[in-house]
Amino acid sequence: MSFTHNARGAYGRRNNDAAVGNGREETGGEPQIGGLPFWKPRDLRGEYIPNKKSKTGVDVPFMLLTLLILLIGVVMVLSASFPRGYYISGEPLKVFMRQVGFASSGIFLMYMASRFKLRTISRMAYLLLAASFFFLVIVLFIGIEVNGARRWLGIGGAGASTTFQPSEIAKLAVILSFAKWICACGPAKMKTFKYGILPFGIVIGAMVWLLMREPHISASVVIFVLAVIMMYAGGVKLRWFAMGAGILAVLLACVLFLNLRGSGINSDNLSIREQLSQIQWSSGRLGYADGRIDAWLNPEADPLGKGFQIRQSLYAVGSGGLLGQGLGQSRQKYLYLPEEHNDYIFAIVCEELGFIGAFLILFLFSMLIIRGFWLAMNAKDKYSCLVTIGITSLLAIQVFTNVAVVTNLLPATGVSLPFFSYGGTALWVQLVQIGIVLSVSREIPYPQEAVNEMPASQQNNRQKRAV
Amino acid sequence: MSEQVANTTTRGKKSRSLIFRTLFLQILCGIAAFSILVARLYNLQITQNDYYESKALQFQLSQTSLNASRGTIFDVNGNILAISASTVNVFISPYEIARDGYDIMQIANGLSDILNVSVLSIVEMSQHTDSHYQVVMFGVEDLEAQMVREFVRGNKLGGVYMEPSTRRYYPNDNLAAQVLGFTGRDNVGLDGLEERYDSQLTGVSGRTINLRNALGRNLMMSQYNDYYTARNGDDITLTIDSSIQYYIEKHLAQAIIDYDVINGASCIAMDPRTGAILGMANYPSFNPNDFLSIGERELERLSLITDDEEYQAALYQAQVRQWRNRALSDAYEPGSVFKIMTLAMAIEENVVSLNHLYDCQGYMEVLGREEDEPLHCWNIYGHGEQTIVQAMKNSCNIVCVEMALRVRAQTFYKYIDAFGLFDRTGLDDTAESRSLWWDESVFFNRNNQAQLASASFGQTFKVTPIQMITAAAATINGGYLMEPYIVKQITDGSGNIIEAAEPRVLRQVISEETSAIVRSILEEVVSSGTGRNASVRGYRVGGKTGTSEFVEQLSQQAEQVAQNEIPTVVKDYIVSFIGFAPAEDPQIIILLLLDTPSHETDVIISGGAMAAPVVGNMLADILPLSLGIKAKYSEEDLGDINVDTPSIINCSIADAQVILDTMGFEYIVIGDGDVVTNQLPAPNAYVVSGTRVMLFADADIPVEPVLVPSLHGMSYGAAKDTLEAMGLFVRTSGAPKSDNRAEVSVQSLPAGELHAYGSIVELTLINKDAIARN
Repeated sequence: MSFTHNARGAYGRRNNDAAVGNGREETGGEPQIGGLPFWKPRDLRGEYIPNKKSKTGVDVPFMLLTLLILLIGVVMVLSASFPRGYYISGEPLKVFMRQVGFASSGIFLMYMASRFKLRTISRMAYLLLAASFFFLVIVLFIGIEVNGARRWLGIGGAGASTTFQPSEIAKLAVILSFAKWICACGPAKMKTFKYGILPFGIVIGAMVWLLMREPHISASVVIFVLAVIMMYAGGVKLRWFAMGAGILAVLLACVLFLNLRGSGINSDNLSIREQLSQIQWSSGRLGYADGRIDAWLNPEADPLGKGFQIRQSLYAVGSGGLLGQGLGQSRQKYLYLPEEHNDYIFAIVCEELGFIGAFLILFLFSMLIIRGFWLAMNAKDKYSCLVTIGITSLLAIQVFTNVAVVTNLLPATGVSLPFFSYGGTALWVQLVQIGIVLSVSREIPYPQEAVNEMPASQQNNRQKRAV
Repeated sequence: MSEQVANTTTRGKKSRSLIFRTLFLQILCGIAAFSILVARLYNLQITQNDYYESKALQFQLSQTSLNASRGTIFDVNGNILAISASTVNVFISPYEIARDGYDIMQIANGLSDILNVSVLSIVEMSQHTDSHYQVVMFGVEDLEAQMVREFVRGNKLGGVYMEPSTRRYYPNDNLAAQVLGFTGRDNVGLDGLEERYDSQLTGVSGRTINLRNALGRNLMMSQYNDYYTARNGDDITLTIDSSIQYYIEKHLAQAIIDYDVINGASCIAMDPRTGAILGMANYPSFNPNDFLSIGERELERLSLITDDEEYQAALYQAQVRQWRNRALSDAYEPGSVFKIMTLAMAIEENVVSLNHLYDCQGYMEVLGREEDEPLHCWNIYGHGEQTIVQAMKNSCNIVCVEMALRVRAQTFYKYIDAFGLFDRTGLDDTAESRSLWWDESVFFNRNNQAQLASASFGQTFKVTPIQMITAAAATINGGYLMEPYIVKQITDGSGNIIEAAEPRVLRQVISEETSAIVRSILEEVVSSGTGRNASVRGYRVGGKTGTSEFVEQLSQQAEQVAQNEIPTVVKDYIVSFIGFAPAEDPQIIILLLLDTPSHETDVIISGGAMAAPVVGNMLADILPLSLGIKAKYSEEDLGDINVDTPSIINCSIADAQVILDTMGFEYIVIGDGDVVTNQLPAPNAYVVSGTRVMLFADADIPVEPVLVPSLHGMSYGAAKDTLEAMGLFVRTSGAPKSDNRAEVSVQSLPAGELHAYGSIVELTLINKDAIARN
């Protein structure tokens, strides 16, 4: 009872924030529907006036964008996975059917997650973080080894058919626990080193150290960037970020300098990219990544070796042209491009749907992310806001990294494309995260001016409920 | 309310700063990041689309080429001279053999047995383990290909493959070898007509283009699959007549043996009415099916070389020599054959009279020559007073010079130009060489007529055989210079004519009347002059002999003098003969030249003694058998010809005697039976009329072989008697045997060899008077 009361009480406070929105609206002069900016939450009929006796309900644009992207993703899995299934396993539809299963169950999980109050979930935040560390430790011992890296845990034992990456759980745990810590500390403490930097540094340092043991660079980087965004949103002073960036730059310069000195190359006339390519990347623990860096810097150098994958990916993307080869007409998916239904599915998308198609899909992602941040801004409270920021940022990081890898903007990493890449647990985790955002969106209060414009009967009803 | 406040601290109130930071993240993650990606995609997909698409297609498309069948080469009667047949190339993939661990020795031995390739070479190929394609043998025929297939399958081996190919076959082996040329194992024409008409013969190979997956399997995506049909090569029909070609090659080869010709020989047969080449032969020759192998005579010479490097160089030279179509490419000094041209221009210019007598004292002072070195006739005693006709019959140099001087140098060159002797004939521009003449400034010098004088009888300049015969044809065909041609028509695979050659008159050089006079004079040269050894019984043949000193040989002697070596006394010659028939309406003209007959044979080196009888033999075969011209024998001829013997076995002796009497044979009966049980020469043997036929009546033919005697220099009668006494029979060619100046020059069965009783010896008779070295 008290919970409900609190929640309703929050509506009253939201009015201030709505005023912030109004302020932007007046100066921005953006297109409006029904007297309100288009980004204002609305129900399925596009109206502000609820005709049900529920609360606001989930944010329909965010949910529809997710489902649309998921639908396109599943179709692309069918197109991309068909040839390998046809020629190798003899079951051309197997991957697709499994993905459909994952997607259906994932949608159910999303719905379930959206029904949970975020507050309920937040109670488990630190527990989830502890569990993540537990999994990250045990994966080093009982993890399934693929290509020299132990990143996967089998559900029901090492030989199980269903696997998941503890790093996926860790990402969610970081979002939930960091948000909780930030809220617990309050703005003032977050500006201090003791509360605003140190705890995060310890958690992330430990987590990255464990991930490097697997080794799993891409997850380390994603979690690191995610943590930085959480800290930024949490109110950490900007000078810390400036300092961090400065330290990173100095470190990189040292590495470059020492490597070039060591290899006796005069670096004066070389561009950064050329200098990078001169470095002996194979040294040390991260030796497995050296080929990827070489391939990234010069994909044509070793066409059948290390550069094969990225080169085939570029061929697929590049041969798409403006309009693409047509849905299902990819040629690179005929066993040329490895991981074509997985990490490199976007290359097939580019080849089949062309620049136009790829642009539209990126636009949908962009809309989803913008909408996510908007939901964060309008969220009921700071915790909801931070969690939504975390989840949306994570989505953005993954989409950006994946597409950047496929187009060779970044060295090859194992980041999948959310809602597109084949894989059960990853999809479930992503949809659960979306579910959490939807749960946040349910609790977004109606803007006061919307309530004011309602017909009197409903206004009364609404106000009755609101009080 | 206190709960509410507590809640605010734990759950947090969103600050203005949080909103702004969220907004910043929204722009960064939602717009900036995606802008970068879109820009990158634009760069890859729009700007660099062509580059990546073509790169991708290199992987994705597979091309299979469909061989176009190489066109066939026919002779004028549709006989096949060169044809392509389907074969396969057998190749191995050393990569796969190494990868899959097949036993290379087993493969090598097996392939070696079937294909007759050395084991070592296959093992050597297998060392290239990064290669997928090492051809073991090109042009393997079906039978062997099947054996290879069974060998590989039977032994469960891999890495051995076959690809379809075609191979060129020349069914007549050496026939017209230099004319046809040959193709390499990749079916590219490398020489002769195969090279010159390579693009027409090759056709356009087709190809299929398929989209394939990374495993190499074709995909059924029709928009990428394409099929271009192969267009087979065009067929070429030549003007060459296989039978004429066969006869000239046959007699040419015989002449090489008879006269031990050292430097090779050429022969061209042409239709003087059209300029169509009827036959063209060269020696040394080769077999285009196996164009690297050289002939026996050359091998003999090479076997004397011991040094390996020298041997390889000599072998290469011999190969080049045998491939060369010297009838087109080797300019030579035509010698007295050229007097035809001088005669024609003198008559056309009307500077000589047929009734006038011209004096030859054996030598002649010519402006420009040293006073103590007058120009000599080949007959240093002189021919005395002669008409033009007599002078030609005698091949008199002095009268020829006289004619040329009257024509004058400028007019002489005008005719040379008109006869096309300055230019290539256009038969084959790549193979033909240019002629070599004095510069006009030298030739037209009024104070130095030595060059004009020498040129009048075919010395001190060089023309190619094809130029010579083309110009000579113009003097006897009514005066028309024809453009020689060898390709009659080109037809596509379906038989449609693409290109058909028409006889082309370049110009009329002399009048019909002059031409008729030249024809009749040349006919007299053969009937009673230096060319009489070329006469063919029953036909009117015209012609002219030629013997030219070898200029290179002279310069070589000069070198020897310079090096204080004793110069060899013997001179080398090119002997030649140009003959045509029938004289009243020439249908064929043949030029034969033999380069450097050896001094080892007893035959006098001269065109009249050596080249003329060979051309006579060619005409004797070609006129009735190839051209279908019936012989018209005079009374005199009838006793002078070779005839077929009748079959009189099982006839009674009396009947046999009647038959033989009426046919003009003599006979002798051996044994005491009443019925002929056997006869020599055998029925249908081709022997001289008047042969003494041996009739065996209940008697056996002696089995002991007979030692063939030397007959050189004997008169016909003596030779016949000698041979018949020994149980051998005679067939003759060359000069008429009724000619009491005729003697045996060459015998087909060499002296000192053993031959079966009753063998026939072919005797070449030459007239002792017709051996002028001119």
